[in-house]
Amino acid sequence: MNDHDAALAVLAALPRQSPARLRRLLAGGDPCKTLQSIAVGGRAIAGLDPSVWAAWAPSVATLRATVPAKCEAANITVAVHGGDGYPPALVGDPWAPPVLFMRGDAHAVRRRRVGIVGTRHATRAGRAFARVLGDELARAGVCVVSGLARGIDVEAHAGALAADRDGAPPVAVVASGCDTVYPPEHHRIWHDIAECGLIVSEAPPGTAPTARLFPLRNRILAALSEVLVVVESRARGGSMITVREAAKRAIPVMAVPGAPSSPASEGTNLLLADGCAPVTGACDVLVALGLDTSRTWARIDTRVAPSSRGAEILAVLRSAAQTVDGIVLATGFAALDVAVALGRLEAQGWVAHADGWWEALPG
Amino acid sequence: MTIATTRTARNDPVPSMRRTGDRFVVVAAHITSEYPTPRPRKVRMYAAVSSSTLVGITGRPITVEVHVGQGLPGFTVVGQPDEGCREARDRVRAAMLSSGLEWPNRRVTVNVATGERRTDKGGGASLDLAIAVGLLVSTETIEARQIENLAFLAELGLDGSLRAVRGAAPLAAAITDKEVVVAPASAGAASLGANVVVRAVSCLAELVAVLRGGHRWPDHRAPERCAAGDRCADLADVRGQQFARAALEVAAAGAHHMVMVGPPGAGKSMLASRLPGILPPLDDAAAFECAMVRSAAGEDVEGLARTAPYRAPHHSVSLAGMVGGGGGRVHPGEVSLASHGVLFLDEMGEFAPSVLDALRQPLEEGVVRVSRSGIAVEMPARFLLVAATNPCPCGRSEPGACRCTPSARQRYLRRFSGPLLDRFDVRVVLGRTAGEHLTSLEAGESSATVADRVQRAREIARGRQGTPNGAVPAWMIDDVAPLDAGALARMRVLLDSGSLSGRGFHRVRRVARTVADLAGHEGPLGVEHVETAVALRADFMPGLDPR
Repeated sequence: MNDHDAALAVLAALPRQSPARLRRLLAGGDPCKTLQSIAVGGRAIAGLDPSVWAAWAPSVATLRATVPAKCEAANITVAVHGGDGYPPALVGDPWAPPVLFMRGDAHAVRRRRVGIVGTRHATRAGRAFARVLGDELARAGVCVVSGLARGIDVEAHAGALAADRDGAPPVAVVASGCDTVYPPEHHRIWHDIAECGLIVSEAPPGTAPTARLFPLRNRILAALSEVLVVVESRARGGSMITVREAAKRAIPVMAVPGAPSSPASEGTNLLLADGCAPVTGACDVLVALGLDTSRTWARIDTRVAPSSRGAEILAVLRSAAQTVDGIVLATGFAALDVAVALGRLEAQGWVAHADGWWEALPG
Repeated sequence: MTIATTRTARNDPVPSMRRTGDRFVVVAAHITSEYPTPRPRKVRMYAAVSSSTLVGITGRPITVEVHVGQGLPGFTVVGQPDEGCREARDRVRAAMLSSGLEWPNRRVTVNVATGERRTDKGGGASLDLAIAVGLLVSTETIEARQIENLAFLAELGLDGSLRAVRGAAPLAAAITDKEVVVAPASAGAASLGANVVVRAVSCLAELVAVLRGGHRWPDHRAPERCAAGDRCADLADVRGQQFARAALEVAAAGAHHMVMVGPPGAGKSMLASRLPGILPPLDDAAAFECAMVRSAAGEDVEGLARTAPYRAPHHSVSLAGMVGGGGGRVHPGEVSLASHGVLFLDEMGEFAPSVLDALRQPLEEGVVRVSRSGIAVEMPARFLLVAATNPCPCGRSEPGACRCTPSARQRYLRRFSGPLLDRFDVRVVLGRTAGEHLTSLEAGESSATVADRVQRAREIARGRQGTPNGAVPAWMIDDVAPLDAGALARMRVLLDSGSLSGRGFHRVRRVARTVADLAGHEGPLGVEHVETAVALRADFMPGLDPR
């Protein structure tokens, strides 16, 4: 890592740093000189609070010793707004991050990109849909941009990773440092994406995920997407912040319709009511991107056809998730027969259950 | 200060016992008026009186020896008395004086040694009456031959009345060759034991009058052998929850332990409390044992209840409360009280881990052993364990509604994993009852109908292997639950795909046997039985414990 990049990393890592402050610091000229000026207690750059400037001085020495080292240890590169390696999609953005930390294949963001976001508390069906969508878009050569959060995000990434090696690599925009795995159970996929895709963060390595960082992350996620797809979301969820950021930038937002009774689809159904285009499969997204859909690989449903009783139960589940009791009520079958049929459908991959509720899975 | 105290003491001596006694004679005049106070004739030194003490839930006959001799007036209890027995002195003295009987103003020694086994702490308040009678015999108020054929089991009130004792049923049952004198309140429980002649007496003066001759034993109502009103809530009240009802029936028919996972309001406790109603009625031995346990735990026992007991301890229950024990003497715990019936643990995750761990030995052996220094008490604990829990801390189960993080869910459910979870053969996940079911006027199947099917399935199992299917040992499983070719193939698929563990395989076969028994199917198990059993073994914590 050269001195210029190291200085950028240290400037971004200063305590109480913000995009606005960092932008002012970088406007002040060569980052190496600016850093030196902070370290020796020089005159504050115009527009910066002198007390903040003075408070930075004592931490420069430690940051110089640690931040570049962390970047190198995790193979993290630094890109400055307008510089080499900075994603072109962000250059013209009015709220673009002054400095970006990237880990992995920096060229991934130069492909066609679709943002996939959604709730962390997703239904089984929603998660299955996100996975299939991520998979099919990646196969079609479209890069899946998401936040690597629990629920929809991680499923979209997992789907994109499952695509063949010639598929587009996934891009994860994260709130914590590129080397700080959050949530911890995503350890494996985090490193898989660093390996064959790209992890992008505004925060320097080692930054813990704090609540204020997530809305900032969402703006980068929205800005990096050509089209934003919301798979499942509550009426007031983090995904809605991303939707608003996309709306500010006139990026088209698409939503996956859900059952009216499903709390996890409140937000997406509201988006549809507001005039967002619906997504029922990868084709809808590809059309929105203006890509030729005729060349996309058609998915063949390889699941064994269900029995007549299974088909009847499946028809009930397709309209909404049900408990065994609900299915008994709708079909009139005996409870134990329903349970047995559900067991078979589950083994064949038609349905999934969580906490006593059964959902039909997409093909 | 010291001098002043001494002088006061000398000037104002402690009132003599006789004076105190006279005062009490006046107070308790209503008791004494009916029965004239006898005067002691000459001094006899020694008396031996039969009684019994409680060890766990079994009575053990003992002899209370009383010696009244020369020496400084005093009262000593020897032979490892417990707290209740040491207090007996004050109660016995007050009762005798209240009854107008003279307190021997001499040196009194009481021995409560329990014969060859002297290790356990003897006594308790139940020896009060025996001590009083011993004193009366020693002072020749009563003739020794009058009590040769009697045993005494009662606590004394300060007014001379006889009070009920904890564990009257097992205490009386321990005495086989004598008539048993108890308080009227204990008479019902005491007469449960076979071949026990019970004499109920209301107060000490009455007893003295009888034993001195001239008065007949007072009458007491003999209780019914079968208690009335031992009915429990009916399964017909439960609306909806068809699947859980079916699971409950299988659990009852095979004596399989069961866990229910569902949101608050799903009807978990309602279902569990209906379980005794569909279990087969208790036979004589089981009903007797249940009565002994309940009596030993201090409950009022009037007759033999035929309905299986149902215990639902709160999750704050202590270790001693659950398995038995307690300060001083060993009380039966919830596991013993639930013996031959149902032990329901609502909010199982909230129970102390040590309490849940302690259930393993009773589940394994059907008895619980509480060990103290020098004594091990064994009590019955053959119960059907039914547990209930929320699926996660927030308890919202609809898809997408739960906001708990995966780690919070894991922490919540991890308490169930491990050896205790292995015991649950039937695992059901309940959703909230559909509104359509709740408002429906159609009553569910009644307990009686289900109980008939359960009884039939139990008989088939008993005819085949002598035990319910849930208790079939591992070596017997191949004979009891053979699989036909189709079932074997299905099992192979489940095992190979990892959706069933090797351990689960054996447990599932027991439940499949019960499913077949309920359907009246004999011979090797078919695909449908195995699949039903697998459906009844829900995988409610994916990733934590494979089913």
